[in-house]
Amino acid sequence: MDTQRNESEDFMLELGAITKSFGKNTILHQVSLRVRKGEVCSIIGPSGAGKSTLLRCINLLEQPDSGNMSLNGNFYDVSFPLRQDELLSLRRTCGMVFQSFNLFPHMTVLQNVVFPQRHVLRRNESEAREVALKLLDRVGLKNKASSHPTQLSGGQQQRVAIARALALEPKLMLFDEPTSALDPELAHEVLDVMRELADSGMTMVVVTHEMNFARTVGDHLVVMADGHKIEEGIPEAIMDHPQQSRTRQFLSAVNH
Amino acid sequence: MQFLPTLLVGLRQSLWIIAAVIAIGLPLAFCLALMVMSKHRLISAVGLVIVEVGRGMPALVILYLVYYGLPRFGLNLTNIASVIGALAWNYSCYCSEIIRAGILSVPKGQLEAGQALGLKPRITFLRVVAPQGLLSTIPGLMGQTILAFQDTSLAYTIAVPELMKQAYSLGGESFQYLRVFVLAGLVYAAVTLPSTWITTWVERRINTAY
Repeated sequence: MDTQRNESEDFMLELGAITKSFGKNTILHQVSLRVRKGEVCSIIGPSGAGKSTLLRCINLLEQPDSGNMSLNGNFYDVSFPLRQDELLSLRRTCGMVFQSFNLFPHMTVLQNVVFPQRHVLRRNESEAREVALKLLDRVGLKNKASSHPTQLSGGQQQRVAIARALALEPKLMLFDEPTSALDPELAHEVLDVMRELADSGMTMVVVTHEMNFARTVGDHLVVMADGHKIEEGIPEAIMDHPQQSRTRQFLSAVNH
Repeated sequence: MQFLPTLLVGLRQSLWIIAAVIAIGLPLAFCLALMVMSKHRLISAVGLVIVEVGRGMPALVILYLVYYGLPRFGLNLTNIASVIGALAWNYSCYCSEIIRAGILSVPKGQLEAGQALGLKPRITFLRVVAPQGLLSTIPGLMGQTILAFQDTSLAYTIAVPELMKQAYSLGGESFQYLRVFVLAGLVYAAVTLPSTWITTWVERRINTAY
């Protein structure tokens, strides 16, 4: 019993048999996943595989039909909607970065990072500003603090979105195709920030098409197809010696 | 031109009516929009009935129902109160649909960003969704207000001494109906045309807001 508890303490996130359907289409078939503390877990696979849906089930932007979840030592039965206070505390544990950035366009860059801290962590204005400026500096955008998001490039907007999420001190960062809307040059600056974040020990789950990132930064690779987890393990091992034909097919299409 | 001073007295009355209609109608429109968008089925249904009835009937019919109908239920309103009440209902129903469309036009990602950050739904609505959604409704609401201002002319049918009623009386006294009504039309236009120009200008400003 003791050893079991010790083992589960190593994990930041454990998903158990997550199932999700939209109407008659089952998007996720009993997907389970364990992510260790400090680990970078990349999820790859063809479109329609259910990668994003799985990620969105973690912070319950999608309500699974059934399954359970353990996040930072807290257990949740996610077969039913959580109570409001449980839901908010779960979401405070995860930060999320979206493909489309989703910054608040009516606020300045600084306000984007300050405003959630004021409400979620109840920080006072000066403390929240201090944290925000430190994080904007970390992502290289301190000089853009008073700009509006639309005045920024896509890569800059995504870096602000990362700073906004980090300001709430998440234990786990979720990235939903963070560079898919960016051209390669701009994607690069976002990937650099993510790499630095991984090096600092942040636990990350990244849905991505960036094979190089998954290979060089990722510790753990999950391949999904048609709502199933079809293969997982060490990134180099899977990329160089895929065991499943479906994985081979996907990797050869990507590397083509 | 000797009619103008009397018409301007009427105009003042018309402007008072529209001011009251806006003051009552806009908050009511916001509440109706929230009701219709509510997840609660009953609240949504009640809101929808109020809005659809209010939009479905001509303003004149609503005015008569309020002025001639409500006394049957023991509610005697003065003619000015009746016209304000009737137009405010009609106006708020149209405005509530404009507000609802504006709020629904906010990209879903904004709501999701608020949720993912762990903001309470009320904060996400008030600080993220509503400010963006309402900004885009301002030109539509201004346009609706101009229409409502023209509808204040219906008040002449229940003897409210507003612009149209004054014009009607002046015409009856002088038999110069054409002159009087042309002048009255110009007075209405003197209010509505600049308002339209302002609306267009605001619309352009909003389109370049961010």
